Amino acid sequence: MRAPIIQCQQLDHIYSGKAALSNVSFELDAGEPIGLVGPNGAGKTTLLGILSGFLRPTSGIVRLFGHPPGTAQLIGKVSALPQDARLDPSFTLIEQLVFYARLQGLTKQQAIMEAGRVLEEVSLKEAAHEKPQALSHGMAKRVAIAQALIGKPELILLDEPTAGLDPVNVRTVRSIIAEQTSATTFIISSHDLAELDRLCRKILLLENGILQPEKIGLNEQQAAARFITLQMETCPALEVIAKLQAIEGVQQITNPQKNEFIVAYDPDLQPHMDLQLMQCINMHHWQYRQLSHGKTLEEKLFFRG
Amino acid sequence: MYPGFFNHLLLISQFELKRGFVTRKGILSMVTFAVVWCVILLYPLRFAADLLVQEKGLMQDSGFFDFIGLGSLQHWPIPEFGVFWHFALIIFPMLSITLAADQTCSDRERGTLRFIVVRSSRNSLFLGRFAGVMVIQSLLISAAAFSTLVLVLYRDASLFSSGLPDLLAIIVNLILAVFPFTAMMAALSAKVKSARQATVWAILIWTFLAGIISGFAYYLPVLAFFKLLVPGYQLSDLGELSGWQTLQLAYIPLLQSVILLSLGRWIMARQSL
Repeated sequence: MRAPIIQCQQLDHIYSGKAALSNVSFELDAGEPIGLVGPNGAGKTTLLGILSGFLRPTSGIVRLFGHPPGTAQLIGKVSALPQDARLDPSFTLIEQLVFYARLQGLTKQQAIMEAGRVLEEVSLKEAAHEKPQALSHGMAKRVAIAQALIGKPELILLDEPTAGLDPVNVRTVRSIIAEQTSATTFIISSHDLAELDRLCRKILLLENGILQPEKIGLNEQQAAARFITLQMETCPALEVIAKLQAIEGVQQITNPQKNEFIVAYDPDLQPHMDLQLMQCINMHHWQYRQLSHGKTLEEKLFFRG
Repeated sequence: MYPGFFNHLLLISQFELKRGFVTRKGILSMVTFAVVWCVILLYPLRFAADLLVQEKGLMQDSGFFDFIGLGSLQHWPIPEFGVFWHFALIIFPMLSITLAADQTCSDRERGTLRFIVVRSSRNSLFLGRFAGVMVIQSLLISAAAFSTLVLVLYRDASLFSSGLPDLLAIIVNLILAVFPFTAMMAALSAKVKSARQATVWAILIWTFLAGIISGFAYYLPVLAFFKLLVPGYQLSDLGELSGWQTLQLAYIPLLQSVILLSLGRWIMARQSL
């Protein structure tokens, strides 16, 4: 049996007299990307900071691949995209990335090749000889992502990787993560729940520094079998609810946002609920935008009924 | 396989050397230093040395240098080196307080250190930066010393062989003199938020530490021992020595550096980045 890549036991972190993390314990295995969500000030950045070795926990035990964060055994194995960290303004991007690659044990030639490769990954090869102050916010973020990819680490901790990026670059980051999931485990902290919904199969929810235990490893199969989320074009909400409610097997219809309906149903009574919903929509000449199995991540985490 | 501690130390100090001599900011600092040193060399230093050479007998007889507290100038066979020695003992420690102030603080505030500590230990980062700054200062000290030698040779080219050992003694001593100042700035830089704060704290700590220890030692002389902890404590005594005698006091800056570097490492290991 493979050992977990991350082990946290009774982790506490007190910052300015306030508990930023309180008794956080969890274990994570290598594999699919893992999302870390929670409201502002919940302790996400603190947790990632501790895992990366930037902060020392007040108490508790942390192990990555069996070693404490910041130890030499983790060099090249673990990498991080810290939130709001910026490169040195005195040096060009390529100089700094080559330096980081050399710290990871690459020879000068290998380091130059690797720095070029990671810049290519984030579509910034042409900016290799620029200094950081010449970059836009989005470009700086992409360079910071590039440095995290140096040497193809086994675990990458990403703190808000898509914050401040335009949709095209969000897509680029998403595809980078998707391409590397076979060899690398990503832990992604983000407020963009739709993004995490696309990328992650497992979610950690932090609230006020406390890990919500029931959120670890959401049972997707079970959830997908019981709910359908329906996004409509402009429609008469009350009438839609009434008509959908009439379909056999429907247990409950909720309308959490304008033109969005969550249908809870019994799969034993109606195994093809999606087809029934489509027929109902067609019959009443409504227009729908999207129909998806399961609840959105936002609904699962914050509005559970 | 990840590189070892010394490999990281070497890479980080090399990167600091690059910062000191290749970046725009580094080049500007070097040019400023060169211009200021040129002025010192060509005017106060050259004139003072000329005065010593020309009026040597007269001033010795009158006890003028002893009267102004610079009696040791007469012990240097080459007057330029004596004057350089006195100038350098003041200038280089002061330069060290500004030049070595930003070893880690601005990079920590910017978050740049995080990119480094996921790839190296905090120890190698702290000591690598310290080593880099020490090498830069050593090169500056050597350049200043050799420019003084050029001045001597311009006056009398036959002094090269006799002057070289004294020059090496001066270089070694000056490097030792800036060691604890650089270590103090490394420790402060690991804690404060900017180079300016580090410089202000260095001046305050240095002044108050010296004042407080002197005050206590006045009432309890046994406490005078703690003056050894103040960087630069030996400088006034060093001024009285010449040639290789100056190494008699080398243990003081080395001891201070070890204590300050240990303190700095302790701070760095606990600092949030």
